[in-house]
Amino acid sequence: MIQVDKVSKKYGQRLAVDHLDFTVNRGEILGFLGPNGAGKSTTMNIITGYLSATEGSVKLDGHDILEEPQEVKKQIGYMPELPPLYVDMTVRDYLSFVCDIKGVPRSSRRQNMERAMEMLMISDVRGRLIKNLSKGYKQRVGIAQALIGTPPVLILDEPTIGLDPQQIIETRSLIRNLGKEHTIILSSHILPEVQAVCSRVLIINKGKIVASDTPENLARGMTGDNRLTVRVAGGEKEALAAARSVGQVVKVESVGSKEPGTVDLVLEARKDQDVRREVFLAFARASLPLLQMKSMDLTLEEIFLNLITEEREVS
Amino acid sequence: MLAVFRRELRAYFASPIGFVFVGFFILIAGVFFAISNLLSGNPNFTGVLSSLTFVFLFLVPILTMRLLTEEMRQKTDQLLITSPLSITGIVMGKYLAAVGVFVITLLITVLFPVIMSFYALLGLGWWEILGGYIGFLLMGCAFISVGLFFSSLTDNQLIAAMYTFAALLVIWILDFIAQSVPADAVSGLVFLALLGACLVALVYFSTRNVAAAAVTFVLAAAAVVLLFVFARPFFSGLIAKILGWFSLVKRYGDFSLGLLSLSPIVYYISFSGAFVFLTIRMIEKRRWV
Repeated sequence: MIQVDKVSKKYGQRLAVDHLDFTVNRGEILGFLGPNGAGKSTTMNIITGYLSATEGSVKLDGHDILEEPQEVKKQIGYMPELPPLYVDMTVRDYLSFVCDIKGVPRSSRRQNMERAMEMLMISDVRGRLIKNLSKGYKQRVGIAQALIGTPPVLILDEPTIGLDPQQIIETRSLIRNLGKEHTIILSSHILPEVQAVCSRVLIINKGKIVASDTPENLARGMTGDNRLTVRVAGGEKEALAAARSVGQVVKVESVGSKEPGTVDLVLEARKDQDVRREVFLAFARASLPLLQMKSMDLTLEEIFLNLITEEREVS
Repeated sequence: MLAVFRRELRAYFASPIGFVFVGFFILIAGVFFAISNLLSGNPNFTGVLSSLTFVFLFLVPILTMRLLTEEMRQKTDQLLITSPLSITGIVMGKYLAAVGVFVITLLITVLFPVIMSFYALLGLGWWEILGGYIGFLLMGCAFISVGLFFSSLTDNQLIAAMYTFAALLVIWILDFIAQSVPADAVSGLVFLALLGACLVALVYFSTRNVAAAAVTFVLAAAAVVLLFVFARPFFSGLIAKILGWFSLVKRYGDFSLGLLSLSPIVYYISFSGAFVFLTIRMIEKRRWV
């Protein structure tokens, strides 16, 4: 649906976005992930036509954003990093103005505004001036603004920033729901958020894509081997010996003691081999009680840091 | 465009700015009206309008300072530019809103000649007054377009207001300057050469292209030299002539006499058009930074 084709953006001599190349399919929720200054907001600003790319093109359903801006902009609801609010207006007036500029026909205006306000739970503040609202409410008015006119594409730049934990959970489930009808691109530097919401993740660093996959695949692909951490009551030497006695375990490492009289080990087995039963029995035979055992899937956090640091080492 | 116009007009009167402009303008107009018409028993109202033009100097910066600066500061320009509106529509909507506040003010001042008409035994020169108003309105539109342009250069209201004030002040004293600049051909040549140098610098800094700047330089130099060799009379009084192009005030003269001639009308409209166009270009250019 959206084709981003070798897009670059230079600010003076600094390359903020470096030949970014990706497509977004209809109905997808795509997450942009990256540290601050990675080029997430710049990319979003280019897709929405706020900035022009130095090189490359952005197409929505085959329409180029620079050649047919009106056509493309009608299809996109955008919530920038800072919600673009006229603080001296009431929420109702503001949303009505947004209806005006987006060309929402009069007949469906009321329904449009009601729907947006209801989805973001801001109906109760509709008569208040935006400048008197709290940050969380302002953020939600900003998202409501993007929903006006029910555009098929929603682009949300850090939608949950400034919200309290309860609102974050609500907003995430809202985004998941919106994903049923809209194609969504959202950016975040909060990893669990992307994991919870997105069907695909693009990890961006220094304006380049360093990884692109589903959150699950990223987590799996990075681990390579199958790792377990175990906590055993007993001496380190005995525990290591017991662990090594399991045939499928290729590597054992002690990571020290975190509880008196116990030792923590990391066991590595070959891929696709479940060694948990053997490990349990091995420790039982050595009469070393097994207190804790969990498999170590890399979190998105670790993947992210891995990718970013690899980048650094290469460059 | 209409949506932006309506929002902007409402914003003027949701903040003190609209009221300050209207109130202050009417206050000054009222004082002038009382002194030169009521107290002295003089029926010439267009004279009041022409002595009011100095009010533009400090009221127009107040009127226009937040037009585009606020959009940039609050980041609401992102909403407008990523909406299906065209940049021309956005800028025109804003410009017309500022003009709208000015028109509202002028409509209120129509009360003054109406008051006079009750006492005018020989009738009032309504056509003359209408002509004066048309000229006054057009001149105001030209001043406002300058303010609009400067509000697109910065995201700080105060700086925009000061730029506008400085620019209007220069326009204001242009006539005095034009009277006393040297009129001989050589100083005309120097002035034109300086203008050419500015043009070359502008081309270089906006394109960062040495070749383009060089071509401009060659063309400009050739034009100046050819003109100096073959059309020397062109250079005498040239500085005053060029300065005169920007003199908004001088062109009000006809209107204040009650004459409605085409050339100042065309001049004011094209002057405003040029600055609105420059504003649109400034906003468009920002996307490429």
